[in-house]
Amino acid sequence: MIKPAGSFGFMLILACSFTGLSAARPAVAGTAAGTAYVQDPASSPQRYGCLICHADKRRAYQLGIHSDRGVQCHDCHGGNPTAFETPEAHGGDFRGSLGKLESLEVCSSCHADPDQMRQYGLPADQIAELRTSRHGQLLLDAGNLDAPTCSDCHDPHTTLRPDDARSGVYPTNISATCARCHDDESLMTPYGIPTGQVAEHRHSAHGIALYEDQNFAAPTCIGCHGSHAALPPNVGEISNVCGRCHVNVRRAFDLGPHGRLEGGEAPLGCTDCHSNHDTERVATERIAETCEGCHEAGGAETTLGEEVEQVLRRAASEMESADEAVEELVRRGHEVSDERFRLRAALSEFRRLETLQHTLDLEQMADVERLIASASMDIRGKAEVSAEEKWEHKLFLIPIWFFALGIVFLAGYRLRRLRSETPDVEGTL
Amino acid sequence: MFKRVRTWLGQIGEDIRQSTDASLLSSMRFLGLLYGRIDRELPIDQALRKAWGRRLPSYVGWRHMFGGIAYLLFMVLVVTGVLLSFYYRPSVDEAYASLQYIATEVPFGWMIRDLHVWSANLIVLAILAHMARVFFTGAYRPPRETSWLVGVLLLFVVLAFGGTGYLLPWDQWAYWTSTEVMSVIGRTPVVGGAIAGLLTGDVFVSGATLSRFFALHVIVLPWAAFGLLVLHFVVVRKHGTAPPRGHVETQDAGTPFYPDHLLRMVIVSALVLAVSISLAALFPRAIGDPATPFELPEGLVSSWIVVDVSLGLFRTLGVWGFVGFSALGLLMVILPLVDRDTEKGLRRKPVVLGVGLLFFLGFLAFWAVGRQIDSVPPSVEIESRILEERAIPTPEASDVSADGDAEARQGP
Repeated sequence: MIKPAGSFGFMLILACSFTGLSAARPAVAGTAAGTAYVQDPASSPQRYGCLICHADKRRAYQLGIHSDRGVQCHDCHGGNPTAFETPEAHGGDFRGSLGKLESLEVCSSCHADPDQMRQYGLPADQIAELRTSRHGQLLLDAGNLDAPTCSDCHDPHTTLRPDDARSGVYPTNISATCARCHDDESLMTPYGIPTGQVAEHRHSAHGIALYEDQNFAAPTCIGCHGSHAALPPNVGEISNVCGRCHVNVRRAFDLGPHGRLEGGEAPLGCTDCHSNHDTERVATERIAETCEGCHEAGGAETTLGEEVEQVLRRAASEMESADEAVEELVRRGHEVSDERFRLRAALSEFRRLETLQHTLDLEQMADVERLIASASMDIRGKAEVSAEEKWEHKLFLIPIWFFALGIVFLAGYRLRRLRSETPDVEGTL
Repeated sequence: MFKRVRTWLGQIGEDIRQSTDASLLSSMRFLGLLYGRIDRELPIDQALRKAWGRRLPSYVGWRHMFGGIAYLLFMVLVVTGVLLSFYYRPSVDEAYASLQYIATEVPFGWMIRDLHVWSANLIVLAILAHMARVFFTGAYRPPRETSWLVGVLLLFVVLAFGGTGYLLPWDQWAYWTSTEVMSVIGRTPVVGGAIAGLLTGDVFVSGATLSRFFALHVIVLPWAAFGLLVLHFVVVRKHGTAPPRGHVETQDAGTPFYPDHLLRMVIVSALVLAVSISLAALFPRAIGDPATPFELPEGLVSSWIVVDVSLGLFRTLGVWGFVGFSALGLLMVILPLVDRDTEKGLRRKPVVLGVGLLFFLGFLAFWAVGRQIDSVPPSVEIESRILEERAIPTPEASDVSADGDAEARQGP
């Protein structure tokens, strides 16, 4: 059993750590020869004994940030790096390969120490957070080695900063890191945890925003569950979790009948309509259908859902018409910065309308719909004027062809007369 | 002094008196009274009368109109081009905006611009029809081989006009089509890179390219075309129109240029102009989004017949089809050097006939195929280059596990 947190630290998940700890560490050897050996393990086996046998770890270590901060093999694994023979090298406080609990202890020896972490701007409370998580409860309280320790998420040798795209905790890689365990059916089944969440997340609105649009504001696993303090939010917490990013939607939701119910007789959260891992927008044409998931078809609530759907459909149609009108104006060569500005303003209103639908307040929605319709009408008005001009261009062809055919007729008539006359016609200038 | 003024007035009076006859030149003289004085120094009137009174062989008819149509369209391009240049501004910041201004604000700007676009398409067809007439009547053979060679050079100049003019609208379609063309040129063995670098003036199509294309389009190529046109007319005039095969010389005096041939020209010109204006009004060249090197358009929309043909070739036969067809075009250039036998008809020269048929019918066929392709996505090469620049490395793709680090990453 591990001792309480005070004596441990926890290696920060976001590998942003590490440190010039060598100054704080005791010298490995007091002799002149020993000092000569205790150099950089990245250099050569002649200067650092561990590398004689463990040369394969050298390159991985060099790439990690611990190498930059001077953390060396024996700082984590113990032993005597000045020795060239195994018995001597693996003697003393040698720990060898670290087990899960040992790993936690070793990492926390630095990462739970605020005095060491302060200089890097890193928090030192990960172990405290870990204790509150399901992972921590299993590992620390129950001693269950299925639960992950620091090195399961952070590569122990090539420890990278979280903003390094190669890191396992980089936003686009983090779901794959979680999936190493959470997609393992044999590991999850005993705990009653389903698998496949990562695949669902990849195809969700959040996943598309993150992986396709490279929008790093979109949440990965840790965005909702936390990282070191990872836990699934309970039913009452869901709207708070979503509301951290979707602030306006949360506010609108609270003003509506569903929000007022929350915490009372029938608590309701965002995931009831939008799902959790495969989070998606409820398509406009499916709003009423979604209402029928809880409410009786044809009832007052479903009818209200249908009306909300109609408002959004009309507004979406106005937006589409305005967008097409702008494109058409561009194709015809018009300068459309003003129209684009109006369209952007209308889009902003449309987003507000989408938010307002969570209040289920039709009056407020109708006001916003009018603004959208007005902007759309202005844009389409200019497109219609342009279309009329185009029609006038076609009308211009009538005199052109009248004139051209007149010339053809007169010239043809003259030519015909010339042919009917003597073939030996002279030029008559 | 008084006597001199009286002489001048007398001469002007005489000019006016002469202008009362019904001839066209006299009417011109009436419009510009000074012309009478010029004509007394330089006998222009006499030269024109001689030229217009020239008699053409009796076999010259409607099928000889294509050269004239090409010349007419060239003049339309010159006039509309000059009008466009009053408003067009060849810089990255202003080109697109000036095009918008021309299309929507300048009175009849829409017509001038689209007439320019459509004339650039029709002139290619007119030149090819003219070439086909010359080819299938064997008129490229001696002594008219110079006329043929100069004509083919004129075709290349017209193609260069179109190629340089294509970029000038500076919208996404123009920009990325030009980028693709420069990419193809750049990959031509030996000289491609140097030519592409010279034309582009930068590492990618940019303001430097726009300036160069504009200079070529409005300064270099017009002078080249002017010189070649003069040469073409001179050699055509010198050797005359080739008689059809089996034509027997008679004492027939032929038909006069004026009014017979000129009337035919007037009829054809009126129709060609009406058709061009109709095409401009009914099918205006749409304008894409402003050019940006940072974003690929979803599709490239072609607005020039040569781009259509290239698309058709690339889509059906691939890059080697394009290279093969270009080689066929070059073979047409050197045809008079190979086929110099004026005695045999083309029917007895199946290889030459085959080459000609393949070129002309192939052009039409691939044009038809190209037109079916409404728009094409930018080529894989261009797209992948952009994607590579935007790519964010992943652990799998990155080189973090070099030198056996895969094992090292397993941990102790």
